[in-house]
Formats: sequence, C-alpha cells, structure tokens
Amino acid sequence: MLVGKQAPDFTSNAFYNGEIKSINLGDYKGSWVVLCFYPGDFTFV
Amino acid sequence: MSYNTLKELNVEVLSVSVDSVFVHKIWNETELSKMVSGGISFPMVSDQGGKIGTLYDVYDEDAGVDIRGRFIIDPDGKVQAAEVLTPPVGRNPQELIRQIKAYQYHLKTGEVMPSGWTEGGTTLKPSPELAGKVWEVWKP
Repeated sequence: MLVGKQAPDFTSNAFYNGEIKSINLGDYKGSWVVLCFYPGDFTFV
Repeated sequence: MSYNTLKELNVEVLSVSVDSVFVHKIWNETELSKMVSGGISFPMVSDQGGKIGTLYDVYDEDAGVDIRGRFIIDPDGKVQAAEVLTPPVGRNPQELIRQIKAYQYHLKTGEVMPSGWTEGGTTLKPSPELAGKVWEVWKP
C-alpha cells in the first residue's frame, strides 16, 4: 500500500498541448499532483 | 468543470494508460475535444508495458491494462490518498476535490477533518484537552 509513502518516480512520454513530451514525476515536487490511471483510450467510462 | 476547480487548487493532473502517445493524440482530437471544450489540457502519459502501473500496483497483467487507480500526491512527493476501482465504474471528481481540499486545509492549519467533512464544515484541533471530548464539539 503506497498511502503515506513516497510516490514512485517515473519518466515517460506524454501527449501534452499538441506535442509529445517527456514527463518526470519528480519535476512536480512542490505541487499537488493527481495521478489517474485508466484502462484505455476510447473506452466508455 | 472539475479540472478548472483542480487548477484553482493548484493541482497538476497526470492521466496514465497503456496507450501510445499517438493514440492519446487521436483520442483527444476525435472524441475528448468534443466532450471538453479545447480538449484535454493536462499531460496524457503513455505507460506502454505497464511499468508505471506496476510501480503503483494497478497494472492488470492478464488484461494488459492499468485499472482505475487515483493517487493524491502532496508537494513533498508523498502519496496522501489512493482509490482503486475496477474498469466498469467511473470516479467521482467531487470526492477527489473534497479530499484535496481537506489535505490542503490540514497542511495549512494542522487541523483534522472528521468523517463526512466538506468545505466549511467543523474541523478538529487535536490536543490532550480534546481527548474523550470530541462529542462536545462534533456529532456525526
């Protein structure tokens, strides 16, 4: 269970503002972050 | 719209699925931009192979997808809250916003939010004097 622990860091490509960008979670230190996983694009919920 | 509320609360949103960034682009262009004016304005992260999902224990190896896991991460990089749902049911953004407001309020004041708290509701100041006397200041 991750609650109460450091969020695991990751770096990955993202689609953001019309571009492909590398995103590193660690760069978001100092901000609140909501990380939302979902099963897939073009699904229904 | 909930995303604007999150922006006002200075919350950065990252969405993650196993789709490629190109599928994210086409989904945003062909469908999401018809649901949300201007399309999605936060990074849509690609997790091909499920490595990120595995780190957060939400990767379903059999289905090859990340299930609905939602994590609130504070400015120090610590996970404060998590909610995990299987695919058929969507999330409630209002509950997410309630939790973020509660954690932000706690960080600012040190006060704690009892069960069912919503913005403006009674908060508690933990102290030796309050022990055994919560009933005097708060009723469920």
